[in-house]
Amino acid sequence: MAEDCVIETRNLTKKFRDVLAVDRLNMRVKRGEIYGFLGPNGAGKTTTMKMLLGLVHPTAGEVYIERVRMTSDQVEVKKRIGYLPENVSFYSNLTPVQTLNFFCDLKGVSRDIVPHLLREVGLEKVAERKVGTFSKGMVQLLGLAQAMIGEPTIYILDEPSSGLDPRWVKVVRERIRELNRRGATILFSSHILSEVQALCHRVGVINRGRLVAEDSIENLNRRLKIRPKLWVKVRGEVPSWISNIEGVEGVEVEGDEVIITSEAERRLEIIEEMRGRGVKIADFKTLEPSLEEAFMRLLEGEE
Amino acid sequence: MRLRKILVVAKKEFMDNVRNRWLIVLTAIFMVLTVASSILAGEGKLGRIEATVITLLSLSSMLVPIIAVVLAYGTIAAEAESGALSVVLAYPVKRIEVVLGKFLGLSSVVASSVIIGFGSAGVIISLATDWSEWKDYGIFMLLTILLGVLYISLSVCFSSLMKKRSTALGAGVLIFFWGMIIGSIWLGIYAATGGSLTELYTGSVDKFPSWFWYEIFLSPQDGNQAATMLAFGQKEIMGFTFEMPHWVNLKNIVLAQLIWTAVPLLLSIYFFRRRDI
Repeated sequence: MAEDCVIETRNLTKKFRDVLAVDRLNMRVKRGEIYGFLGPNGAGKTTTMKMLLGLVHPTAGEVYIERVRMTSDQVEVKKRIGYLPENVSFYSNLTPVQTLNFFCDLKGVSRDIVPHLLREVGLEKVAERKVGTFSKGMVQLLGLAQAMIGEPTIYILDEPSSGLDPRWVKVVRERIRELNRRGATILFSSHILSEVQALCHRVGVINRGRLVAEDSIENLNRRLKIRPKLWVKVRGEVPSWISNIEGVEGVEVEGDEVIITSEAERRLEIIEEMRGRGVKIADFKTLEPSLEEAFMRLLEGEE
Repeated sequence: MRLRKILVVAKKEFMDNVRNRWLIVLTAIFMVLTVASSILAGEGKLGRIEATVITLLSLSSMLVPIIAVVLAYGTIAAEAESGALSVVLAYPVKRIEVVLGKFLGLSSVVASSVIIGFGSAGVIISLATDWSEWKDYGIFMLLTILLGVLYISLSVCFSSLMKKRSTALGAGVLIFFWGMIIGSIWLGIYAATGGSLTELYTGSVDKFPSWFWYEIFLSPQDGNQAATMLAFGQKEIMGFTFEMPHWVNLKNIVLAQLIWTAVPLLLSIYFFRRRDI
């Protein structure tokens, strides 16, 4: 292990009856990075994250966190982890204050931080209401608050912004950046690719239990030969000869709009050629490669 | 295993469940029933504690297990289903500490319910009559708490074994009925093997085969009733006098009930450690 890995799995496998949920997964999360864990529904993201914490027992393979072999009773390592499960839930008869007090006691840290945590997630006004009366979004925010107890150095967040309105999605995103700036390593799963693209240093893509890629978004795009694109809106019809222009690799036409794939340095020449041949260009912009394409291509490659 | 962590879990469990609506309703029923039984036993006025307890016994030995099952059936199965348990287990706490904490917390909820429900009614009756039997009444309450704790342990066990909340509830209901009907099954076997039901109804049942008395150790509810009768020195149940073998005594029944509590508790630790959350 040359690199400084905070989380590492070795041939991690989980079989439920005859369903192979996770298949010989080798993933590495480096110290200080934000790692996005991507995959379609049912790909094995949640099962993998639960195995990282010892909630689900692996059928084969191992999990190492801070180089310590993880098991369900590995309490020393768990002191350093903040975890937010998918569809988090709490005790309906307790108030947020009582809930967070309980988790502080469980982690062995002072309860003094509870009011501060509630303020951070905007729940200070409902601090004395029973959690049973909360909306899904409020429960999710309480989930985020508990994950921050004890200033963990490792965060494992399963769909952290699910159920939140856009304002809070933004707050959560900023919070993740802030925690990372202060030195925390963050692993989070998401199906919102734009969120991952905006936040992550590296991503891991899982499909049908297997890790199909693990790299930075730029490297993924380079490897998958995903190019920036040119979007052009014309007045009148899109001429069919565009695909014959030198350097044009792909053309997608929709009404009076056309998306052209080419080498980045050919884009200007293509526009000039179109104008020279009498095409009236109403508008144009360049489309940078998105994670979505890399993601789709990876999954297609698996088919 | 660390006691502090167990107590943290137990305290949370107590605080969450003590506000359970069913628990509050059933505790209120205890109080009303106790006073009502006392009035029945005293023929219109508040009657003596002993007679009250005898009247109350068949009801209390049924209600307390119901409370325990209602409180505990979901403690692992439902929390695993909802996701609450994954948060807890991601904390620096061992699984054995979580199970023991839950058992302790839920047991103290049942104990509180019995003490508040029966205890307050007991005080009312004692004030109106006399205090001489408070000790026996205390034993009655302790035996009732033991029955509750026993059913907490059974329910926690099924809750940690079953994947779903609904099957855990089903198992809890089943084990409750086991305690209720095993007596009838026993009587059936007694009749089918040539035992005389006439002897039973005329009260001359000294000649019961010894296996007949095993039933008291197999049914937690009947064990609780028999132990309470023995504690009060009563040999009459619903008009029939019973001469029990010497080994059917308070000590052995309590021992059996402790085994009924300990075995499921050990099994729950085993199941819970192996479980995927």
